[in-house]
Amino acid sequence: MNQDQILAEIREANLSYLMLAQSLIRLDMDQALFRLGVSEDTAKMIVSLTPAQLMKVAAGNTLLCRFRMDDDMVWSLLTSHGKSAANESVSRLHASILLAGRHQEAA
Amino acid sequence: MARTKSILTEARQIERAVTLIQLGARLQVLESETDLSYERLLRLYKEVAGKSPSKGQLPFSTDWFMTWQPNIHASLFLNIHEYLNKTAELEEIDTVIKAYQLYMEQVQSQGLEPLLSVTRAWRLVKFVDNGMLTMTQCRCCAGHFITHPHEIARHYVCALCNPPARAGKGKMAGALRMDGRETSAAAAASASASA
Repeated sequence: MNQDQILAEIREANLSYLMLAQSLIRLDMDQALFRLGVSEDTAKMIVSLTPAQLMKVAAGNTLLCRFRMDDDMVWSLLTSHGKSAANESVSRLHASILLAGRHQEAA
Repeated sequence: MARTKSILTEARQIERAVTLIQLGARLQVLESETDLSYERLLRLYKEVAGKSPSKGQLPFSTDWFMTWQPNIHASLFLNIHEYLNKTAELEEIDTVIKAYQLYMEQVQSQGLEPLLSVTRAWRLVKFVDNGMLTMTQCRCCAGHFITHPHEIARHYVCALCNPPARAGKGKMAGALRMDGRETSAAAAASASASA
């Protein structure tokens, strides 16, 4: 991937993220806060962006969305590292519980 | 709740009642969460669900939430409920509805049966409000799980980090399955013990 391609793909990812976020927020603000893991203020900011602003915000060399699980526990549960596939649904449910418990990030 | 004869409030309440009926709530839930009369709720129920509501008492026991699989499902719901409670400003019953919808989505996307009914979810929130049940943090995974109050938090290990012997052996469709006895936390513990 050359530099132009990288920039184009980042813009693409940012755009689809922002557009998805906007439609989720418009569909149901409260549930969107849970799905996106952002604060209410951020959500209001995202939803108020016009298409032109959206393009501007999306352009750049960094991604706008970030990783929500940055610890080993959730990560190993989600990837079921070193475990049989039979326990996968248990592990995923476990990870869901851990992720749902993290409201500090959005407070 | 103050009884105000407002058509707008009534419309909102009917809408709320319809959502609850669609989610499978029992009539007692509707009676307690709306100001609509019993007769109107009954008519509404028949219209939306196409059948008469089931009769009998509501499930009232807190013990159900302590068994292995229900505890996991209920903990997931309550975690989502807490999340919405902290981030969004909603009326109590709306928080239950939205959290329940998110819970259903998540469970069904993993090919499991939603074990927790909306009536039970509603009861669960009441139990927690009354201090009959509470959430305790697991020592291993730091997740929050439903327990009886006064659980000794320092020693508490959740049902997923340390599943009971017969857990996950049921043959029911859509139930949680577990094959090996080793789970992440147990495996990590044994690995560090052998190292």
